[in-house]
Amino acid sequence: MNLTPEQQELGRRNFLKALAGTPALAALAVGAAVKGPVKGGPVRIGYIGVGGQGRVLLEQTDPAYADVLAICDINPTSLAKADASLAKKGVHPARHYAEWKEMLEKENLEAVVMAPPLWLHADMATGCMEAGKHVLCEKMMAWDDASCERMRETARKTGKLLEIGYQRNYNPIYQAAHEGIVKAGQLGDVYHARIVWHRNGTWRRKAELPSPDYDPSRWGYPTFDHLINWRLFWRYSRGLHAELASHQVNIVNWFFGAEPETVISSGGVYRFPEGGREVPDHVYTIFEYPQGRTAVFTSIESNAYDHFYEAFYGTKATLILRGETEAYLFDEGGGERPTTVDVAMKGSGPALDASESRAAEAAGSFKAGAPETIERTSAYRLEVSGFCSSIRTGKPLLCGPDRAIGSAKACIRAAEAVEKKTTRLTV
Amino acid sequence: MNGEAALSRGQQVSLVLLRTLVGWHFLYEGYFKLWRPAWSRDGAPLAAWTSAGYLHAANGPFASLFHHLADSSWLARIDVAVAAALVLVGLSLMLGLFTQAGCAGGLALLTLFYLAQIPTAGVQQPGAEGAYLFVNKTLIEASAVLALFFFRTGRIAGLDRLRHERQARVGRPQEAAS
Repeated sequence: MNLTPEQQELGRRNFLKALAGTPALAALAVGAAVKGPVKGGPVRIGYIGVGGQGRVLLEQTDPAYADVLAICDINPTSLAKADASLAKKGVHPARHYAEWKEMLEKENLEAVVMAPPLWLHADMATGCMEAGKHVLCEKMMAWDDASCERMRETARKTGKLLEIGYQRNYNPIYQAAHEGIVKAGQLGDVYHARIVWHRNGTWRRKAELPSPDYDPSRWGYPTFDHLINWRLFWRYSRGLHAELASHQVNIVNWFFGAEPETVISSGGVYRFPEGGREVPDHVYTIFEYPQGRTAVFTSIESNAYDHFYEAFYGTKATLILRGETEAYLFDEGGGERPTTVDVAMKGSGPALDASESRAAEAAGSFKAGAPETIERTSAYRLEVSGFCSSIRTGKPLLCGPDRAIGSAKACIRAAEAVEKKTTRLTV
Repeated sequence: MNGEAALSRGQQVSLVLLRTLVGWHFLYEGYFKLWRPAWSRDGAPLAAWTSAGYLHAANGPFASLFHHLADSSWLARIDVAVAAALVLVGLSLMLGLFTQAGCAGGLALLTLFYLAQIPTAGVQQPGAEGAYLFVNKTLIEASAVLALFFFRTGRIAGLDRLRHERQARVGRPQEAAS
């Protein structure tokens, strides 16, 4: 979504004005503070999967909250890059493992942060919880419904914390938008949301073999390409719905206070069929919620003009959350609504952005330094710190299994509908 | 040595117990101030400890000096020095090592703490568990450390005693030679 500078200014002003009546969230903490502190230093943490997304979380791990004792990855190149990230942060080095079970046995960990490929989430998360570790698992929750349920049940049975890594839940902009605008009824009745994640480029990643004798079949991948590009194959992935839509559906579920009942989906591998890619590079999905509410998701890999945003169209106002860093509010009717629709310049954001993890730089190009904008990465920092707080102080998780499972199931149905060429599926 | 020998078993045990308990009090206070191994209930690790609040709240004849310290650029160094001194005094008293120096250091710290906040109000203050007039627990602990200093408890039990015995063994042949 592209807005003119005037629209941005107006939208920002409206957003801040709408929040003015919201009581400070900090005030809620006062009651807790008078009870006095609880014991414990930084949470002892191990990381499983320190590829792209795992490394984003690792880099955003605050040493005051978490002490990273060990890192585990089947790719030695990723371990080396993670070492460099830790050194750059100025914290002590972490011990290396290729086998996650060995790490659990040998290390005195309290919790695990994991970002492996989707198909491994359930086995690893349940294994960690059964070994007595709290788990922060990168989104989406799991590859299929049964795995999601297994994770939820294991968390319940073991009493361990299970947080699913939807960092928007920890983003102060989203929290303010929900508390001060959506919950306060400032949008009126919302029948429609639009969730968009558009990029221009292939999702395929290139990487060198870590060593000539590296054998990916040891880890369940027939080729190194499958290991690196697991997102492109149904066996390991649920495609754009899992990697992108689930973030946004999670937010719609939160803001609507409901979960989709049915999905209508279409898409295909239209632009990048090379390498035997199975998951679509273009998808178009309608998520149908109770009471006539609908969210429309589109994700394309042929044009990045719209980039990514979530927009809520209410009877009284429109709320736009763009690039995880900006918020705009436009009144429906009244004198303040912008009447001109100019085409904005695209800005200096990269035309090709093939990563859902590193879109931060692209989104950053819009930043204007206004108080309602934040660094996108700070939400990851708040997420890891929030997880540690929950372990130490019992503070509620912001995206535990009960919240995460709704968006997972809806996105699994959406991906299935595309894969099986079925138009409509019930969640 | 004759002085210690005159103490009964019960007196010796009581003194060493008192020294150990006072030592633990110092050691843990210092450890907690240096490492802050705790989280506030609202979900964040405790911020680094600072003496600024205590110094700002100073009253009595030396109040202006303490207030001046609280606002000075030395504050960060004072914070580390106080916490480190607490740890060192604590270790000294618990181990009975350089006990006389440990007692002197402990006495100096407690005197400063007392002088910064002399209880002159005579009624219960916010955060305090009792009502005090002139005499508070800091002053009592200081008196205890004073007693420990003069009883030279390191020579009753502790590493000082071992040190002393070793020195005595090494010194004896020389004495004989002279």
